[in-house]
This record gives sequence, structure tokens and C-alpha cells, in this order.
Amino acid sequence: MTDSIQQPIFEMIAKQAKVDVGTITPESTLKDLGVASLDAIELIFDIEEHFNINFPDQQGANFDSDTAQSLVDAVHKALEQKAASGEGNA
Amino acid sequence: MRNESHRRVVITGLGAISPLGIGAEALWQGLREGRSGIGPLRHPDAARLKLKIAAQVPASFDPAANIDAHTLPLLDRTSAFALQSAREAINQSGIDFKHDDLGRRTAVVVGTGVGGENTQDEQSRRIYAENAQRAHPLTIVRLMTNASASHISIAYGLRGPSFAVASACASANHAIIQAAQMIRYGMADAAITGGTEACLTYGAIRAWEAMRILADDTCRPFSANRRGLVLGEGAAIFVLESLEHAQARGAVILAELAGSGMTADASDIVMPSADGAASAMSQALADAGLAPQDIDYINAHGTGTLANDSSETRAIHLAFGADASRLAVSSTKSMHGHALGASGALELVAVIGALRDNVVPPTANLDQADPACDLDYVPNTAREMPVRAVLSNSFAFGGLNAVLALTRAP
Repeated sequence: MTDSIQQPIFEMIAKQAKVDVGTITPESTLKDLGVASLDAIELIFDIEEHFNINFPDQQGANFDSDTAQSLVDAVHKALEQKAASGEGNA
Repeated sequence: MRNESHRRVVITGLGAISPLGIGAEALWQGLREGRSGIGPLRHPDAARLKLKIAAQVPASFDPAANIDAHTLPLLDRTSAFALQSAREAINQSGIDFKHDDLGRRTAVVVGTGVGGENTQDEQSRRIYAENAQRAHPLTIVRLMTNASASHISIAYGLRGPSFAVASACASANHAIIQAAQMIRYGMADAAITGGTEACLTYGAIRAWEAMRILADDTCRPFSANRRGLVLGEGAAIFVLESLEHAQARGAVILAELAGSGMTADASDIVMPSADGAASAMSQALADAGLAPQDIDYINAHGTGTLANDSSETRAIHLAFGADASRLAVSSTKSMHGHALGASGALELVAVIGALRDNVVPPTANLDQADPACDLDYVPNTAREMPVRAVLSNSFAFGGLNAVLALTRAP
């Protein structure tokens, strides 16, 4: 279960950061990986599309400081909420 | 020192349609009273949108009230805003384009970020969603970016250089500068200029949502708890003339457009650079023959995004040095929202009001100090103070900066 979520997220991060997926660790931040600004927003979009979820808005927050693990956690949470509501959250 | 080799440019008329009401006076009075034009989003598809708030022109706005039945079907909402605002400005200035064939020597330059977005959205829906076999035959003439400029030209017989200027959120300031330059260097004696925008369509809102920079509460420029920008719409249009032309016809002069500065960051497509903005402000001062200590007020770009407000603050420090802390700086977007390609024009109404009435409009919703925003932002309540000269900042996605410098009527 964890791998089916973590693995594609790490792959999407690696693709956006243009690095080998093996270099991504749970503690890597997007900023460390050079994924800033619009790249970070594009990554969030890719993750939302892949899992068919919506992340809550986090205006004022800074995606750049997010870690790979925090994205995995956020996807878990969004999937749980989606399951609880019994439907897609579109 | 003012450069005496070119003509001076003054403003003799203004008109506006904004979230604070119909007419330039409604906008200015709303701003000086600190009223908010931000409210719940009115949209047929609002239930399907994440966005819940916007700064929209009042629902009572009826283009048919002021625009003739022959012209109306030709207009996107963007052009209706522009044409009605132009009418108000021209009526107020008392300018007569037939006198001495002035129409031949009058330019029209209107800034808009996207042009006829409502038309584009509506026709795309017909064609893609409803599988319509044909688009409305007036689609092209409604949506073209130059439509607003062309309708103003046609309505008043203005036959000088006329076109649209697009630079996203700096469109209006770039347009106003272009118009002023033509008067300055003798290509025109008068110009109708400003900005217009009406792009709160389902598609455009979805696109803005995806950028994750829209506030969900309200617009709080320079406040530590700011959560992004609030989309707006509207138009403001101005009559510009050479000083001697305005004086010769005995016009009431509202303010002098004393100088301008334009720069490009040449760095990131969205993240602003303090250097680029500071250079534009310094250029505007130099062009106007003003020193930092001459300026009393800056109408900031002040979008309420995390990135803009701290970067703009750094830029003001860079351009003004020790004088930065003495300045009154406010973002009227906290009240009229971010009307994108029209925003610099709505803000010019605020700047003219400030120069006329010696009142600086406030930054509304500023209730938590941010260490990265350490200037005097005139929080929440307008301030009566002498306003001799001002700057008005507009900075666009794409790293494009356009700053106006204005002084009191000579």
C-alpha cells in the first residue's frame, strides 16, 4: 500500500527535479531538489491528477519547504477523506 | 530637473467601472472610505468552483443603459467596461474632438491582459461542450484584444495611433505610458488611455485556482496573514493632453503625468525581482525630474501574495533608501481586488484622488505586522496629508514592471 503511493510520488518528484529516483529520500525537500515556484505547483498538479484527489489549498504556505514524505502523507490523507466521503471529491 | 525638450502631459478626464461602483467618483470615494468591493463570487457555475470570493463590478451594471443598441452586440464585457469609462472621461474633460480636427491628432491605447475572455469562454463551451456546429459570427470582433481601443476610436472619430497593450497585470500602466510618450514627443496632442479587464469566466477561474495564489478570505496586502490575491474586474480610462493643449482650451487639469519607468526582470516567469521593480521606480523618478524626497505616496502593486509584498517592500527600500520609511505606501487592491490588466488604471484613479484631495487611501485588512514588510502602509484608515507627488507601481507575471510618476496639476 505504502509503496503504491510512495513510489509514484517519488517518481513524479524525480521527473520534476530531473534527478534519478534513487536520490529521493523521505526527508528531501522540494527546495533541496531544486523544485521551486511553478515547478512545485506543477508537481502538485501531477500528483492530484495521478491519484484523482484535491489537495486543500494552502495559500501562504510554501510548497518549496515540503518534504517528499509530507507529500506522501498528504496523499494518504486525501485518499482517506475521499474514501470516507464515498465518492470522488471533485 | 524636468527635461524641457519634450512636451508635458496632463490628465483632464477620468472614468471608471469597478467593484466599488459605476464611475470614477464611486471608486475614489469607496477607497478613501476604506470600503471593500470584495464579496462572494457571483457566477452561474460558482458551486463547481473552489474560488468563493472575487471583486466584481456590481450586478446592477447594465451596458445597455449607456451604449446604443447597434454597438452593444459587438461588445465583449471587456469592451463595454472600456467604452462606458471612456465616455465618462471624455464628458468630464469637456474635450471636443471635432474642434480643429483634433480627432486626427488623438491616440487610443488601452491595456488589457487577455481581452475578450467572456466571448472566448462562451464560444469554447458552445463548440467543445455543446458540440455546436458554428461559432457566433461576431466571436472574433468581440474577443480581439484591440476591440476596446477600436470601439473608443470609432465612437469618437479618433484617427491617431490606436492599439492595445498587453503585459498581464502591468497592461494598463504600460498603455498609459505609451499614450503619454506619444503626446510628449508630438505624435499626438491628446490620447484616450487606460485599462480594462473582465475575465472571471469558468475557464479562467479554474486556471487561476491551479496556480494556488488566490486568497480564500480576503485581500490582505503586506499583512503577515495574507493568503493571496483576490481576482477583480473593471476598467478605468483617462483623457491625456499636452499641457499647452489643455491650457489653450481652458481645461480643468486633474494631475500631471510627469514621468514613467519600465523594466523587465529577465529572471523568473512568476517570481518577482526586487531589482527590476526598483529600477523601474528609479527610472520613473528620474524621468519626472523628481528626487526620492519629493514623493509622498506610492500606490503599491500590493497584490497580497506572499512573494509580491515582501519583494515590493525590498524594491522600495532599494529605490528610496532612507526616504522609504518616510513614505506612505498603500495597496488599494485590498478594496478593489486585482483587476489584472485594468489594475494600474483603477489605481491611477486612486492616485489622482490622493493628489486632488490630499488624502492617501488605506491598505485595508492589514492587521498583522510582517517583519518582511516594514514600511508605512497606511493600515485600514485613509490619511489626510499633503500629497505633492506619487508613484504608482504595476508589476506583471513575466517580470514586466511599469511605474507612473504623477504630480499635482501645474
